Amino acid sequence: MENNSLLIDDEKLLKENGYDDHFHDHHHDEDPYQSNFFSKYVFSMDHKMIAKQFLITGMFWAVIGAAMSVIFRLQLGFPEDSMTWIKPLLGKWIVIDSAGVGHLATEFYYALVTMHGTIIVFFVLTAGLSGTFSNLLIPLQIGARDMASPLLNMLSYWFFFLASVIMFLSLFVSTGPFAGGWVAYPPLSALPQASSGSGMGMTLWLISLTFFVVSVLLGGINYITTVLNLRTKGMSMWRLPLTIWSFFITAIIGLLSFPVLVSGFLLLMADRSLGTSFYLSEIFINGHALDNVGGSPILYQHLFWFLGHPEVYIIILPAMGIASEVLSTHSRKPIFGYKAMVISIASIAFLSFLVWAHHMFMSGMNPFISNFFVIFTLIIAVPSAVKVFNWISTLYGGSIRLNTAMLFAIGFVSMFISGGLTGIYLGNSALDIQMHDTYFVVAHFHIVMGVAAFFGMFAGIYHWFPKMYGRFMNETLGKLHFWGTMIGAYLIFWPMHYLGLAGVPRRYYSFDVFDTFSQFSDLNKFITVAAIITFFLQIVFIANFFHSIFFGKKVKEKNPWKSNTLEWTTPIHAGHGNWPGNIPTVHRWPYDYSKDGFDFIPQIQPPLAGETENH
Amino acid sequence: MTEHTTVVEEHPEVDYGQAWQGGDKPLKASYGKLMMWYFLLSDAFTFSGFLIAYSALRFNSSTWPEADFVFSTFPGGFHHMPLIFVTVMTFILILSSVTMVRAVQEGQRENQKGVAFWMGLTILGGLSFLGCQAWEWTNLITKEHVSLYTNPFGKYEADGVYINEDGSEGETFRAGSGYLVHKHDGHWAPKKYKVTSGPEAGTIKTQVFGPRAFGALFFVITGFHGFHVFSGVLFLLIIMLNVISGIYKKRKNGYEMVEKIGLYWHFVDLVWVYVFLVFYLL
Amino acid sequence: MAHLSYEESKKVVFKGLIFLGVITIVEVAIALLAKGQIIEGFHLNKTFYSILMAVFSLIKALYILGEFMHLKYESKALRVGMAIPLILLVWAAIAFSQDGYTFEQRRERSGDEHFPEKPPVAEHSLHDVAH
Repeated sequence: MENNSLLIDDEKLLKENGYDDHFHDHHHDEDPYQSNFFSKYVFSMDHKMIAKQFLITGMFWAVIGAAMSVIFRLQLGFPEDSMTWIKPLLGKWIVIDSAGVGHLATEFYYALVTMHGTIIVFFVLTAGLSGTFSNLLIPLQIGARDMASPLLNMLSYWFFFLASVIMFLSLFVSTGPFAGGWVAYPPLSALPQASSGSGMGMTLWLISLTFFVVSVLLGGINYITTVLNLRTKGMSMWRLPLTIWSFFITAIIGLLSFPVLVSGFLLLMADRSLGTSFYLSEIFINGHALDNVGGSPILYQHLFWFLGHPEVYIIILPAMGIASEVLSTHSRKPIFGYKAMVISIASIAFLSFLVWAHHMFMSGMNPFISNFFVIFTLIIAVPSAVKVFNWISTLYGGSIRLNTAMLFAIGFVSMFISGGLTGIYLGNSALDIQMHDTYFVVAHFHIVMGVAAFFGMFAGIYHWFPKMYGRFMNETLGKLHFWGTMIGAYLIFWPMHYLGLAGVPRRYYSFDVFDTFSQFSDLNKFITVAAIITFFLQIVFIANFFHSIFFGKKVKEKNPWKSNTLEWTTPIHAGHGNWPGNIPTVHRWPYDYSKDGFDFIPQIQPPLAGETENH
Repeated sequence: MTEHTTVVEEHPEVDYGQAWQGGDKPLKASYGKLMMWYFLLSDAFTFSGFLIAYSALRFNSSTWPEADFVFSTFPGGFHHMPLIFVTVMTFILILSSVTMVRAVQEGQRENQKGVAFWMGLTILGGLSFLGCQAWEWTNLITKEHVSLYTNPFGKYEADGVYINEDGSEGETFRAGSGYLVHKHDGHWAPKKYKVTSGPEAGTIKTQVFGPRAFGALFFVITGFHGFHVFSGVLFLLIIMLNVISGIYKKRKNGYEMVEKIGLYWHFVDLVWVYVFLVFYLL
Repeated sequence: MAHLSYEESKKVVFKGLIFLGVITIVEVAIALLAKGQIIEGFHLNKTFYSILMAVFSLIKALYILGEFMHLKYESKALRVGMAIPLILLVWAAIAFSQDGYTFEQRRERSGDEHFPEKPPVAEHSLHDVAH
């Protein structure tokens, strides 16, 4: 593709074809954004720094959340073995019996499961994924100096930080963190005396997540207005990279679904501390009927899942956007079906608000309205399948570069297919009678929104690391990380489908008393071993990440991946305002790869002589 | 090799509407105003969450108090004035919305004094509304003893007749009429009555509490709305002081801040339309 | 209001006040009529009444949105962008209410005598649940 030597030099284009927004007239030497340590690294209003803050906080939580899963996997895989060795860390949560064997306290097992879910879903895959990449990429890829409101953007991070601190504190409360499942159904969440974690632990959980919602809303309002109003000249909506489309629609989903969670939470807080009965009715505790009458626990489930289902798309859509971008760049081919991709994202978003009750088929909900939820749920398979088809078609016939980012993007597609297919089973209310609350469900959502979203995140990190830190991550360790995680994830979650089909229920501390399930003890051991190995491979990633920040191979050219999008026209270490001079003007869509003899044509290139029709 | 020049003609663009081509405000609104709109959209969802929860809990209860019986007092010791007080409250809120529109209009004419004057009236309206709400709550809590977990307002399911202390029959009532379980000397004093219609005709019954979700929902939802009014008043006050100090005069976007708080204020009015609907009308 | 002169827009405000005020009065009057407060023993059909009130509220809400919040004069994209999300709530309202109703029916059918609203014979103690 020797034609690329015909491309016009970036610098020249920026100078002659970009436009001056007089940004640098106001920001001379004493840039108030970066003048000292605090305003540069801590209370930074620069979107790139905020992105890094989100990412590193997210990684901190990911390690904690994953470590928790290892501990409860040890209990599930090796229920007989002593856990005394971990007593220095867990203290009284390891109970030593008369024979001197240390066991995980049952309450703490539930607390671990609950916190694992809460942390990974909200703090890692919502804040750590959408927070990081929306912040990093929205201004860079649409050609803006920063977010519409850098101040709200900073507040968004610090509310997340506050939420993190409170949630972290709840881990150290003497009665333990909340232990009623990440969904926090009443009555376990509504009655402080219901379980040990339902008191202080739950109070902190609620406060923390309320702050978290504030963070999401501040961020979301900002992302939406930025994408709408701050696009550079020529960057029409149909020229936005799919990453931006997905962040944009993710922000809209968050904006509409999280507020409903807040109303659910406020009613829950009233039930907990003011004595109301919104969610409570007909409850016996210790043989005594409680005074609460007239509420409905199912109401909470409705309110929760009205957020909860859109939430899984808040998690997966950014990963989809990142995967689309990475797949197209590294297979040197235009993304297949760009508009179909956008329409799919939008219709997934719309449908996500109509299907929430498929999480509640067996809750005692009206079985007749279940029918509608089944239909809406199954319709979501259509746009999802369109996306999968497009990703695979993008790969077909491409000149694929198998670097780590690309591997993770392909891994994402694989995971999304495997997990998505089981979703079609679970979306049927009749099949759900057998499969609800079993390991089949656990396997389904871990693969489709847990591992898949992590893969999207890893793809994004490996791909944009050069932009973030001006260095590359180590490819060898990266490939080790990929193959280990890919194989490990399947080894962990694939067997869980069999457990689930056999009826093994999730959230159980031990299966000792079920003879039926004793046949699975070896399988459980196997899963645990796979989980431990996979966990340590993530440590490799973390080591690679932090090592590469300081000692990684330096990026020598502005556009190391030969990518079309605007972020690669900024200097390697872009300062505040992203472009030192003019803002680039856009003349084409972001997917002109392998076109008319050009390997790639960046978005800032004006139409070239002899070029066929351009988008 | 072909010759290339840096200045190349643009291909004719596909027409999506010029504003969407980038470098412009496609919704014809500044980012600040858009942010307010989107915030209000999310807030609308919070309120909808509450109102939909209200609907679910109301359908979840076999009986519900009649609004025209519950809300029939008026300050000054008046009774049997169903819904009159809340109508006054609604008027106050509408009036304050109208004065807010005037403030925004004066802002567009860059009339500093006009803006401050009409904002002042709006704040007055907001405060009066809060005062009314405070009276309404006080009346419900101290006089009628409704609380977050007790609701003494009930509704008769069948016709009946009260039975006096001495066993004689007193006043009659119709099915569907409301009652309030009274409190005497700190003790609940439910009345006894004989059912005179329906399948249970002839049985003697005692008044029971109404669905307790009613009181709790009322306080939580009107409280949340009142909190919005309260914070609205605070923001109005701050912005009015800014108007008076003249800082908006210097800015390029003039009185846009007044427009934004105006949007918020009208939104509070809009929510009241629905709170009024579900608690007082239906 | 860029499309109207200052004097005209002042009139619009006055009209809005009258419009909302009249609708509110009509609403309250119908409410009292429907519940037998005005004519003894006269009640309106409940479903009809509820739909009527919902329609009145919708008119008020749209008026506030359109005129006071100026949405009528904003760009079409903004209007559509505000309207689409609100459509989502329709299905939510139907599903939530329907499910609440189911719960009530089920409770009635099971006839659970453990949990009636108790006759309030003594001081209703602040139950110990919350504390």
